[in-house]
Amino acid sequence: MMHCTMDDLLALRAGEASAWARSHAEACVTCRAELDALYQRVAQLKALPARRPARDRWPVVRDAVMVGRRRRRERWGVWSVAAAATVAGLLVFRPFGTRQANAADLASIKRESATLEQQLRAVDPDARVMSGRTAALAAALEDRIAVIDGELARVGAPDAARRADELVQLWQQRVDLMQDLVGVHVTRASYVGL
Amino acid sequence: MTISLAVPDILVARAKSGDLEALEALYRAFETPVYNLALRMLRSPEDAEDVLQETFLEVVRSIKQYRAEGHLWGWIRQIAASKALMRIRRNQVRATEELHEEAAGGPGGSAIPARIDLERAFERLSETSRAVVWLHDVEGYTHEEIAEQMGKTVSFSKSQLARAHARLRGMLDGEGAAP
Repeated sequence: MMHCTMDDLLALRAGEASAWARSHAEACVTCRAELDALYQRVAQLKALPARRPARDRWPVVRDAVMVGRRRRRERWGVWSVAAAATVAGLLVFRPFGTRQANAADLASIKRESATLEQQLRAVDPDARVMSGRTAALAAALEDRIAVIDGELARVGAPDAARRADELVQLWQQRVDLMQDLVGVHVTRASYVGL
Repeated sequence: MTISLAVPDILVARAKSGDLEALEALYRAFETPVYNLALRMLRSPEDAEDVLQETFLEVVRSIKQYRAEGHLWGWIRQIAASKALMRIRRNQVRATEELHEEAAGGPGGSAIPARIDLERAFERLSETSRAVVWLHDVEGYTHEEIAEQMGKTVSFSKSQLARAHARLRGMLDGEGAAP
């Protein structure tokens, strides 16, 4: 006599069994016992005792949160300094005719950078789940941007007007990195259908 | 395993605003269920603790996007299951799990005793089988949800479940046991 397979028993439990399996299980004592045993196994699995982790992992999570917040504060602090320094730098360049081209370039690149910042804010990366790989890539780009911001704060000081070319170059590097960063977030958002 | 998983809305709101005390309260509320989910799927307490940590790092990072549609536990459980499944995939790259299970009869290579209890029998299943059984039979995931999370087909999930139950039945009945 043919009995129900485990697939049949699971289908019976799910209410998706074939007509043959349903009628057979009604008539067959062995298969009914198997079905009861299946229900009992699952009930016992659900009743397994809860275990507790041996170590408290909250301190690790909390420390990671604190480090992340500190990094964000530092980054925004540096960006603010860089923005202020740039304004000061523009004020220095404006009166000098020979530096008009640099000032125009700088203003253009700055506008581009501001647009990218807006795009990044629109994606709102802090509010989204990132894969480890994406997060690592974004963090690496952010670190490089932070380094350039540090350089901008230094080079953009009023007494450093002679370094206009260097300032333009740094801003261009910053824009390139920002484009990469926005690309990382936009690509990921598209990939996950956001 | 019966654990209360309800948390006040105000606590969730505070956690979303970045309040560390509220985040810790959420951690304390869900520490045990997350750890148990991971432990049942992965078997190793160290791996389960790592998943617990990874899960809450993700929860802290992403809680702002939790829209309170459905139970918070459902959202956290989704993250935890995903982390545990990622670890299973990594483990599978390192070892040919199925071969190990079939050839050695489970972890440590020991033979199956004449009769074992359900918890030990469950631990002898492969990681993939344990994950499917736990997610489907205990956590209430559908085969469609499991297939999506594992990147497999619905048929794969169903066949894993049937195979796992056949093995559990065999081990609990002492079939194929050592003399």
